Amino acid sequence: MSPPPLRGLVLAATVALPLAGCAKKAPDPIEQIVVRKPGDPPVVVPLASTDPVAAGKRAFAASCSACHAASADAAKGVGPALYGVIGRKAASVPGFAYSAAMKGSGLTWSGPEIEALIANPQGIVPGTSMNAGAVSDANARHAIVQYLKTLGPKG
Amino acid sequence: MNKWTRRGFIGAGVLTGGALVVGVAVRPGNPVDKLRGDVASGPGEELVNAWVKIDHDNTVTAIVPHCEMGQGAHTALAQMLADELDADWAKVAVMQAPANGFYVVPDTAREFVAKWSVDAPNWIEPTYNGLFTQVARLADVMITGGSSSVRTTGQHTMRMAGAAARHMLVAAAARKWGVPEGEVVAENSLLSHKASGKSATYGEFAEAASHEHMPQTPPLKDVSQFKLMGKGLKRLDIPAKVDGSAKFGLDAAVPGEALRYAAVKAAPVPGAKVEAINAEAARTMPGVLQILNMGDFVAVVADGYWQAQQALNTIEASYSKTDGDLLDSAMLRARFAKALDAAGDAGGKSLARRGDAVGALKGAAKKVTAEYQVPFVAHAAMEPMNCTARVAGGKCEVWTSTQVPLMARSAIAKALGIGAEDVTVNQLYLGGAFGRRLESDYPVQAARIAKATGYPVKMIWSREEDTRQDFYRPADTSRFSAGLDAGGKVLGWNNVFTQLNDPPGSWDVAHYDIPAVSIRRAEADMHLRFGSLRSVDHSQQGFFIESFVDELAHAAGQDPFEFRRSLLAKSPRHKAVLEKVARMAGWGSPLPKGTARGIAIVKSFGTIVAEVAQVSMQDGRPSVDKVWCCADAGYVMNPDGFAAQMEGGIIYGLTTALYSGITLKNGAVEQANFDTYPMVRMDEAPDIEVAFINADTRELGGAGEPGLPPIAPAVCNAIFAATGLRIRELPVMSHFA
Repeated sequence: MSPPPLRGLVLAATVALPLAGCAKKAPDPIEQIVVRKPGDPPVVVPLASTDPVAAGKRAFAASCSACHAASADAAKGVGPALYGVIGRKAASVPGFAYSAAMKGSGLTWSGPEIEALIANPQGIVPGTSMNAGAVSDANARHAIVQYLKTLGPKG
Repeated sequence: MNKWTRRGFIGAGVLTGGALVVGVAVRPGNPVDKLRGDVASGPGEELVNAWVKIDHDNTVTAIVPHCEMGQGAHTALAQMLADELDADWAKVAVMQAPANGFYVVPDTAREFVAKWSVDAPNWIEPTYNGLFTQVARLADVMITGGSSSVRTTGQHTMRMAGAAARHMLVAAAARKWGVPEGEVVAENSLLSHKASGKSATYGEFAEAASHEHMPQTPPLKDVSQFKLMGKGLKRLDIPAKVDGSAKFGLDAAVPGEALRYAAVKAAPVPGAKVEAINAEAARTMPGVLQILNMGDFVAVVADGYWQAQQALNTIEASYSKTDGDLLDSAMLRARFAKALDAAGDAGGKSLARRGDAVGALKGAAKKVTAEYQVPFVAHAAMEPMNCTARVAGGKCEVWTSTQVPLMARSAIAKALGIGAEDVTVNQLYLGGAFGRRLESDYPVQAARIAKATGYPVKMIWSREEDTRQDFYRPADTSRFSAGLDAGGKVLGWNNVFTQLNDPPGSWDVAHYDIPAVSIRRAEADMHLRFGSLRSVDHSQQGFFIESFVDELAHAAGQDPFEFRRSLLAKSPRHKAVLEKVARMAGWGSPLPKGTARGIAIVKSFGTIVAEVAQVSMQDGRPSVDKVWCCADAGYVMNPDGFAAQMEGGIIYGLTTALYSGITLKNGAVEQANFDTYPMVRMDEAPDIEVAFINADTRELGGAGEPGLPPIAPAVCNAIFAATGLRIRELPVMSHFA
């Protein structure tokens, strides 16, 4: 150890430096789900074999969730949150920076309108900032809409 | 830990293969050979700090204990060593010192306690240095921060090691050739003796030099003898960054093993725990291997990063309740206001007290008061937090970009319950850090995931996670009152604020000639984790102080430059910097309507920087068109690198001034990606002109941070001059939405 007379002074001064060494031993995982091992075949869950809302949720996760949140209290993402989107006017989430194209689209989001949009976003709203996320599988598009219908205040 | 008992300061030795190694020795006489393991090849326990290696092929390698995060430290430090060594710059290479505990940077620790000058008395050097080495080691001080690399390690270690090695080479040549040492010339990595016509490379004498006596405090060059120092030499790290071969943390690979990828999401409210997760959708998604509830965060490990992140996005988590669950920005602000109200005119912890400020204000002809506010600011390094880790056989190895490799090593060791000697931290280039990578949360996360899953794992944070799980520049409120006499002279200055981190004295106005000063802190609890962001407390204090000084100038009916100039009557170096930047900017010359200049001056990390910003109003929004910057850092070792740091500080400071605002809702950060947390881009970058004054070659100031603090007030002062709108709350653009 350092000579005692200066030690207090020195350590007091170095407190200003970030001291990362004071953490306790970290706990083990609370829950560990082993889905598969490397090299194992992928887990396949066919769309048709489950109910459309569950299928839509999975398709949403794969195709939409990178940009869009599904909950009301979610922070802003790259795209607007889709909680309560069914029946909503286009470009109407407060505080979201929509493109001029989306603001001027005049659309209201019915199920078929959404299916059309996600089949070809730039075709339906030319100039929209949504330049990713097209869903090529019509069954998946339909399932996503069934899932979106479950989001929003009930009744 | 061995008790430090020796006076030994620098030591030398020879590596197998004949390379000379010179460095700061903790225990002189230890076989330098053992360094091979880290700086050459093969394992081994090293016992000496070494800073320069000279190989048979005449390559000089500077072994640098600081990380390279774009600030140019590797080049500047090599430059300082090579100059004292009289090495051929074309044959100089840089090596990142291994994070093994023997490359601690005592000078950085020392900077915080007892500043030293390059000509500190010799008798004090060994004792102090030994002490600081020991303290630095205890505190894991292998830090790159505090704008300190050049002015501490460069000035006191690299130069010393270079000069000592040069002395030993000369002595070896003189002995072999049988001539007086004074007749041997060392230049451009060559030794020569004019009378006999003998000459040899440094490399040829590397081994012989290691047997020569090593001077404990070799004489260093006077500035008139500098050949490399003070020159704008090209950065050694740039070619690899241009051709793509440079390896950043994100580029890490584990030799011979396939990596798996982890995406993580921590509880959004500080202190909350992840109680339960619903991973129903995630477990059916492609590439997913494992899903983990780690207690404080959720992780998905997959074959690819995107697969892991996509699966993570589908996981619903529930969190434990905390006291902060309902907190929003307005409530935090109210908390600060309450603390400041309670402190009043004289309460709180006194930081500076000169004269009777309260009394001086009572008798003043004019009293000015103002309240300023800043929000939390995130670092937003372009390379998001990431770390690659492998845990096997009770040992852990990580590859990451960090400013504190030894602290990361200790933090990992503690988290995994293993010894620090069982953890290896491999340092890669940092894709920006700005103080964020002074924290070791992310290496610990990666190590825990690697341990739980058994996979070598590359963990990468999403941009959203990076923005929401930062260690933020604190939000703060600062209140001022000042009194002026009838002639506009400042009689008293009374200031109180709530947040204090580092460095000491950021709040002071001692350079201004004000007879009565009271500066206080009224402590108020924070909510988010706070950390050091480029220029640390100066980033908000510069804005507070220099905005208020501007208000005083206008209240006194004086030109803001002339007002500061007269306040700086007793601070000649500040005054010279201020006058120079005013000349550069053509201060006082007419400008078009709607365009104006603002000025500010802040000393931070040993460097005085004054800036003038020229702002024009475009479609009702301010545009920063031009910035002039003058700095006095004592002596600028690499003018090109120094100017780049001033420019970088100004651009980064513009982002924090114009745009950065982290806000809270329900206890969590609202911003996520660059759409909600924007940065200044190329189209908004002003023309920047940088000049400097070399006023003191002995005690140097830093470069990485001091360019930042003056820019926010300079811009806000210009906006006031252009529009009459006084901005007392950042970010600026929130006033022009």
